[in-house]
Amino acid sequence: MSGRLSASAYFCSVALLTLAGFALAMFVRPAFGHSMLQWMGLESVPQAEARSFYATRVSPLFETHCISCHGEKRQKAGLRLDSYAALLRGSKHGAVIRPGEARNSELFMRIDLPASDARAMPPSGKTPLTPDDVTVIRLWIAQGASGVRRTIPGAPQPVPEVKIPEDAPALTEKLRTPLAAQVRKVQREHPGILAYQSRNSAWLEVNASLRGAAFGDAQLQALAPLRARIVQVDISGSSVTDASAPFLAGMPSLQVLRLGGSRITNATLVALEQSKSLRSLTIGDIQTGEDTLASLRKKHIAIFGGAGVP
Amino acid sequence: MSPDPSPTHVRVWDLPVRLFHWSIVLLIAVSWISADRGYMQVHLVSGLTLLALLLFRIAWGVLGSTTARFRDFLHPPGRIIGYLKGRDGDKWYAGHNPAGGLMVAALILVLLTQVGTGLFANDGVRFHGPLALLVSEDTSTRLTGIHGFVFDLILVLIWCHIVAVGFYLLVKGHNLIGPMVTGKKRPEHVPPDSNLIFVRSYIALLLFAVSAGIAVWVMAQGGYAL
Amino acid sequence: MMESKRGMHQLDLARIQSQTRRHFLGWGTGGLGAFFLNSALAKSPSHLAGENAPLDFTRNPATPLSVLPPEFAAKVKRVIYLHMGGSPSQLELFDYKPTLARFHGHDCPESFLKGKRFAFIQGVPKLLGPMFPFHRAGKSGTWISDRLPHLEKAIDDLCVIKSMKTDQFNHAPAQLLVHTGDARTGHASLGSWVTYGLGSENQNLPGFIVLISNGGTTANAGKPLWGSGFLPSVYQGVSCRSAGEPVLYLDNPKSVSRAERRQVLDAVDEINRQSYDEFGNPETVTRIAQYEMAFRMQLEASDAMDIRREPKAVLERYGAEPGKTSYANNCLVARRLAERGVRFIQLYHWGWDSHGTPVDKGLNVGLVGRCKETDQPTAALLADLKARGLLEDTLVVWGGEFGRTPMWENRGGQEMEFIGRDHHPNCFTMWLAGGGIKKGISHGETDDMGYDIARNPVEIRDLHATMLYLLGFDYRRLNYPYQGLDQKLTGVKPARIVSEILA
Repeated sequence: MSGRLSASAYFCSVALLTLAGFALAMFVRPAFGHSMLQWMGLESVPQAEARSFYATRVSPLFETHCISCHGEKRQKAGLRLDSYAALLRGSKHGAVIRPGEARNSELFMRIDLPASDARAMPPSGKTPLTPDDVTVIRLWIAQGASGVRRTIPGAPQPVPEVKIPEDAPALTEKLRTPLAAQVRKVQREHPGILAYQSRNSAWLEVNASLRGAAFGDAQLQALAPLRARIVQVDISGSSVTDASAPFLAGMPSLQVLRLGGSRITNATLVALEQSKSLRSLTIGDIQTGEDTLASLRKKHIAIFGGAGVP
Repeated sequence: MSPDPSPTHVRVWDLPVRLFHWSIVLLIAVSWISADRGYMQVHLVSGLTLLALLLFRIAWGVLGSTTARFRDFLHPPGRIIGYLKGRDGDKWYAGHNPAGGLMVAALILVLLTQVGTGLFANDGVRFHGPLALLVSEDTSTRLTGIHGFVFDLILVLIWCHIVAVGFYLLVKGHNLIGPMVTGKKRPEHVPPDSNLIFVRSYIALLLFAVSAGIAVWVMAQGGYAL
Repeated sequence: MMESKRGMHQLDLARIQSQTRRHFLGWGTGGLGAFFLNSALAKSPSHLAGENAPLDFTRNPATPLSVLPPEFAAKVKRVIYLHMGGSPSQLELFDYKPTLARFHGHDCPESFLKGKRFAFIQGVPKLLGPMFPFHRAGKSGTWISDRLPHLEKAIDDLCVIKSMKTDQFNHAPAQLLVHTGDARTGHASLGSWVTYGLGSENQNLPGFIVLISNGGTTANAGKPLWGSGFLPSVYQGVSCRSAGEPVLYLDNPKSVSRAERRQVLDAVDEINRQSYDEFGNPETVTRIAQYEMAFRMQLEASDAMDIRREPKAVLERYGAEPGKTSYANNCLVARRLAERGVRFIQLYHWGWDSHGTPVDKGLNVGLVGRCKETDQPTAALLADLKARGLLEDTLVVWGGEFGRTPMWENRGGQEMEFIGRDHHPNCFTMWLAGGGIKKGISHGETDDMGYDIARNPVEIRDLHATMLYLLGFDYRRLNYPYQGLDQKLTGVKPARIVSEILA
């Protein structure tokens, strides 16, 4: 049986060869090397703090623009950007960021390339990074690629994106139900005056400005059952008088009030000083006392109109 | 046909099986390197060729020479475990031994999975498999993930295969590599009651042509043209 | 009695006789189709991202412009859009480029010209610095030239966007893009979308009114700019004249009294109603409603557009002269319409196309004239709206359809006698004012030469999305199914609401 190995010798050699293979792979592919070492606990896994600049500004950029190809689903060039540790491990070609040196960091070089360059990241077809985004990443790398620091001086301010409110039909229905019958009644009897603020709101708006003199104190005060939910009242050009002053001043949710061209005088404005909710008042050509306006303004109520408005 | 009484070797593997085996070796290497380097057109061609070869091998496993047929080397689990425990002693088999048969089955299935998922895979930007557009992007991405995972599995299986063949060669003294090249084993290594039947190679050629046609047809379903 | 009975019998007979086999086949298959559609549509999933159900814009066909609430709380209730047709030169009004001034007269660098198509520039033109001096104005320090002294006083209320961009360099498609969201005809205009989504508060006036000055009604892209496209035609803009009859032929002919007109209308109504009973086409009901609105408009439109009723002080502030057609008159009318609940008021003032070809299109003549015509009235409109508390819930938009080149236009490769700039889609300036808009800021920057955008580009569809957001709509949910697509004002590409300019 010359030339033959014993089974144990053979499998020992196989085991050694396998380990050698892994070692070679770890050497040739540093990213793989780091993941192996970290998995074995021989290397500490770099962590970033939740409130760090990395976590709040840099990581969201990677999430939006990069991890569809460099994350859990795909690891192009062996690079993952979905965690701080993965970012530091780099790609199969080596580290992609050099802390302190943005210009020499492969990641920065790629995102800084003009869009026409074939090696530019993200590749054409994907949402590009804005110049501000590139600046954020550059400054972060240049100042040490820290997972701890909270602010990076010189970094542009983040731009909040608009969040469109979600529909909440059940909640809206629930809020509208107590007064729904009243609302319908008013809409039937005086069409075009009362409306919900929006499809997703139980707040009400009153607009009598097209009614002219036909709308007066009686019509206004007929809205009494609904007064708690009224946020906006426009009685411009109506025949409402100071008799409605307590009614208006007592509306708990009234924010915007337009009185120009009505029969209201300064007396109502004085009463409106009691309002806790009012923030905008249009007075048109009402003769006012200067101190009335001043005290209303002190409550941060925007006043429109005044002397000189016909 | 009884084993050749002459002292020279006995034919056990037909040409198609041997060509198949080494072509697979080459194509796996080509697929790996081309994917790693980004030569995706090459990767597409090698992947489709693999598909054709695998389809051919399955057909040949039903219609081919004795040693090529699944019936010859696929054994029930009990038998395989028994073999691995050494119940057969130092027995040679004409074709694949039960463990080898298991490896063949595993490799064919895993490679089929790899080729199958590859048809639907995409690299997120520029390249996608021929059938990737027939499914949702989500599905394609998931299959791409499987394609990536199965690649690691293939590497593991290949390593097992090499280790196993090496074991036979270096520990048991059975050279299995030479026969897979030349097709012939020493007469003393072939059981006398083998009754090996060989099917003509041109039938294999026909079957491969059909398989290739099927591979091209599959590719065409995605609207690709070669 | 017998007469009318026989008359009715004859009518019935006529009705029966008019029912042909075609009717039967038509209604029969239509009915089957309706069954199928009902079951098919009931299963179709919501195609919107997220789980929000589609918004319902159905109304009683007799009141197609009835008010519908916005999707969520709106910041503005109405829009006044001031379109400067031909496109004002941003480099002479808002976008100050001192570097360009230093290179005035130099040959234009090749990088500006390579691979680009221009409307009229050929060969190598010269660079043209700003023609008028700039300075910082107001508390906000916004840059502005000396051409708009009145608007300058309101500068702290404006949000100036210097990084608007478009991909159209000719007037008609560019105007269509700005007003309908697509460079080709057939799409619904901004005002149509808004009145479709929100209706109008005053049922006696059109919800979408267009006022034009300094040009005919069919300059460049013409009526499709305020057309309803694929939306029901009731939502189209009504072009009103600010001198004489608001709408041609709105008034009765001299020999017909209002009472007689009413009788004619009643008869037409009855016939239309019979047609509706027979065919059930809701457009018929809308048609009846439109006749009725025209009747009501006879009184109210004339009143709304009659600026003679305004005090002299107001007329002077705007520079308005009753009886003439002018931008100043139109601005005053716009304020009156805003007070009267008109939802979308669009003003067009043509003549800003400063190519420098004829003398009145030169930057040093034509532009000066246009500024003089529009500066004071625009400022007066803003001040007036503010004084009446209307600016708080009105959105005012000012702008053209593209920008103008930093190069001196050389039509046919020749140096020009008068100074002008060619069309420039890469960057231009618009400003917004009113509810929900940050006051006294500039958004976006162009590069040193005023050629490309350097920061914060704003596509036309982004502007549209932002406008719809201010009006209380998710731009994706204000849609209308047509040609197999849920059509949107912003088109098929995703748009971004410009959050940086929102208060």
